[in-house]
Amino acid sequence: MKISLSLNLNGQDMEFEIDVKQTLLEVLRNNAKCQSVHRSCEEGECGACTILLDNEPVNSCLVLAASVQGSTILTSEGLVREGKPHPLMKAFTDELGLQCGFCTPGMVMNAYALINRSGDKALTSEVIRKNLEGNLCRCTGYVNIINSIQQAQKAKIAGEWW
Amino acid sequence: MKKRENRLILGKGQYADDLEFANMAHLVFAGSPHAHARIVNINTEKALCLPGVLKIITGRDMIEHTNPLPVQANFKGDGWTWRLAHVYAIPDDKVRWYGEPIAAVVAETEDIARVAADLIEVEYDLLPVAGNAFEALEPGAPKLYEDWEDNKQVHLKFDFGDPDKAFEMADQVLKVSNREGRVTGLPIEPRGCVGVYDSKNDFLEMWGSFQTPFLSRHNIAATLGIPEAKVKINSVDIGGAFGLKIHAWKENVVALASKLIDRPVKWMEPHRDFVTTGPHQRDVFYEGDIAFKNDGTLLGLKATVTHDLGVESTNKGIAALSIFPACSSPTNMYKWVGMHIEGIGTVTNKSFYCAYRGYGKDKGIKFIEAGINQVAKKLGMTPEAIRFKNFIQPHEFPFHQINNYLLDSGDYPAILTKAIEMAEIDKVRKKKKQLEKQGRYIGVGVITAIEPAGVAVPNCQMGGITQARVMITPDGSVEVYSDRTEIGQGTEISHATIVGDILGMNLEDIYVKNVTSDFIGQGPLSSRGAVYPASAIAKAAKILKQKVIHSASTLLGIEQSDVVLEKGYIFSASDRGKKLTYKEFANKVFFFPGPRGLDPEMLKKHDHLLDVTTSWYSPTTPDTGSSYTSFCVSADVAVVEVDVETGITKIIKYVHVHDAGTIINKQVVDGQIHGGIVQGIGEALYESLDYDEEGQLLNTSFSTYLIPTAVEAPDIEIAHLETPSPFSETGSKGMGEAPIIGSKAVILDAIEDALSSFNIRVNDSPASPEKVRKWIREAQSNNNGGNLR
Repeated sequence: MKISLSLNLNGQDMEFEIDVKQTLLEVLRNNAKCQSVHRSCEEGECGACTILLDNEPVNSCLVLAASVQGSTILTSEGLVREGKPHPLMKAFTDELGLQCGFCTPGMVMNAYALINRSGDKALTSEVIRKNLEGNLCRCTGYVNIINSIQQAQKAKIAGEWW
Repeated sequence: MKKRENRLILGKGQYADDLEFANMAHLVFAGSPHAHARIVNINTEKALCLPGVLKIITGRDMIEHTNPLPVQANFKGDGWTWRLAHVYAIPDDKVRWYGEPIAAVVAETEDIARVAADLIEVEYDLLPVAGNAFEALEPGAPKLYEDWEDNKQVHLKFDFGDPDKAFEMADQVLKVSNREGRVTGLPIEPRGCVGVYDSKNDFLEMWGSFQTPFLSRHNIAATLGIPEAKVKINSVDIGGAFGLKIHAWKENVVALASKLIDRPVKWMEPHRDFVTTGPHQRDVFYEGDIAFKNDGTLLGLKATVTHDLGVESTNKGIAALSIFPACSSPTNMYKWVGMHIEGIGTVTNKSFYCAYRGYGKDKGIKFIEAGINQVAKKLGMTPEAIRFKNFIQPHEFPFHQINNYLLDSGDYPAILTKAIEMAEIDKVRKKKKQLEKQGRYIGVGVITAIEPAGVAVPNCQMGGITQARVMITPDGSVEVYSDRTEIGQGTEISHATIVGDILGMNLEDIYVKNVTSDFIGQGPLSSRGAVYPASAIAKAAKILKQKVIHSASTLLGIEQSDVVLEKGYIFSASDRGKKLTYKEFANKVFFFPGPRGLDPEMLKKHDHLLDVTTSWYSPTTPDTGSSYTSFCVSADVAVVEVDVETGITKIIKYVHVHDAGTIINKQVVDGQIHGGIVQGIGEALYESLDYDEEGQLLNTSFSTYLIPTAVEAPDIEIAHLETPSPFSETGSKGMGEAPIIGSKAVILDAIEDALSSFNIRVNDSPASPEKVRKWIREAQSNNNGGNLR
């Protein structure tokens, strides 16, 4: 059965004609062409499809699209401004917080939510690790990802943030 | 200069799952629910009736339209066993492991194909299961391949040096053993590709997660029976590989499907299939005797390593070959008198064996390192003391090892000394004693390793082939081509840095191209990136530099010795006013060289185009037979705490000292070290593919096959030494595998030290909490007459 789905996606109000069975991951990848949202395990274990649903990080593979009518969605594409990387993204490239890059967009979205809710108190390695538990990375051993997030928080505190 | 990273971070990666072509159909494999069964009948009628289903390919179609999967490695030594199987990507006669594809469904959408796959009706006649390497070798065990005498695919026997003399010289002999669980490298992205058969031109082109496009082209073309010249394979962004995306076999079915329906066909492997029908590794039992003197001098080894290959490992995968390094690597970094080692590979009803970071080198080194620590314990020595006694010394390089490896360079004592200092090992040992009194158990592990890197072995597809091209375009930018796909290991940064340094160009003007089958090479495997492709590129860039200097001397009217290449400029050292940007220079060379043109001598030699294609081969392999060219050196020291109530191991400190020769890019090297260490920790503590008695795989997802999350991964302290390799063009050594070799060994060693008061041998990975608790219970039962805690 087809239904119409309204979303505010990356700052824009959009309408999609979707099948009721579609997951949010499928709608974002296939209908909205947000290909930063990566498909891997499709059972909420790897975190490669992490997006922000009303500012909260979720595994979009576990969300039935029809259940988030009217929601606000942010993906990695939405962090880019005028073609420029978000300061968080710049921190990831500066610190080489990515190798193959496949887990990266999901990792970035989770980190974005973490930094936004953490205020100015410096994020320790331990706190970041706990918060990244749902985002698996097989390349980096997480070390440079943690460095990237700590660098990004400094950028936020310095006011370089959106 | 991080063109690729800057693109990926914006969400602009183009991975296999992102590929879209007009009129594209989708392919899904249907897998066997049984581990071993004869296929009596397949009924596809219901599935074919589903609207949107285009084609169903079964084993019968594979026989009709394709050749069996080609042999990737073949060895026939005296007294050796090396059996080959006649297999297709989809079987017709019987299934040999849980999940093995029995059909491929092609449909308008992936969803339709998936539903149709469930509608295929298969009648099976169940067969008994060969469940592990030892059961499979017993008389009367169910046979996987009827035309074989038994289930032994491989049996290799090696004599290095003089093993009998070693044991005659020995004061003592110690028996040691080590078991490793079955694991998979499991990148987060599974495999996937699109096949596009162009019937007008009779040409097949594929895009996807191909780690080695040149080899995949050979295997796909051979399977389909079409000339390689009519096939092109393109790698796209690859979401991690670690060896698991080297060899094409399911990809052959995608190619065939595209040919049969004359449309582009996409296959994206579900993650679960990547575990059940993907490449597996390890699953070995290594056992033998170490001969040594009472003063700690190591003399010899007599050992056998038995591999549980799963199904045949010469056609789907190529890891029967990994039995070679598993047998030869125990020499590690020490002097020996002799070794006799046998390597056995047995087929069982499990998914196939393929490459994964380590590729057998890890098995031999892990075994010998743990064994040496046992010898030290027996002699009352520290693990570091026995190593200092037996290390090959810095003045002895290049060192011809008894197994024919020509060890290139290194300072083994310095590496270990540095690691001991960083880990403050004496303090940790004191603390261990204090904490034990409080019922807390910490331990320190010490492991040193060399990483044989950059492989060249005859009689297989890893013979050392490589090719590179460096070209300056008319607008003064540079294109760099090689066989080294980017799998997250920093190909782009490394290659651009090498070329930029040699040509004096800005990195922004250098473009490292995506790898296709147009370039000869076996791709990135065996840590050969910094050895073979990097050397070929450096060599090409050096030849190109001479061409630039020659042309520039003509254009600027100066002597060749006066030409300087620096920061994007070509200028005269004696008269800095005479200069050209690379852009101006290239434009002149290609199109407008001036009234007198280029140097006539250059034109006569046809040496004027700024384009060099060349190849590179190890300078040591032809004469010595050394299958590797460079040997990265590392020392790992880990401090762990084991909770004896829960069996949980926590890593308190991790130190890694590394010598990869000349470092091309430190951030890349550090990243490889971090990732490798954490993968090794996964093997040491968590990862295990467990099959039940009926051959069903019990853990097929991230929730049951546990890879380390950010919480289990430790902070890692790294130090570098740089002892250039005399054998590579850049002084660099291959790297990326040493960290997994060291970490999976050192964690077990540290656990054993932590539990020293229980007198437990920790030689069975993963050392999961359940296993640690079992060992402790058994130890207490033995020590205390059955008084369990």
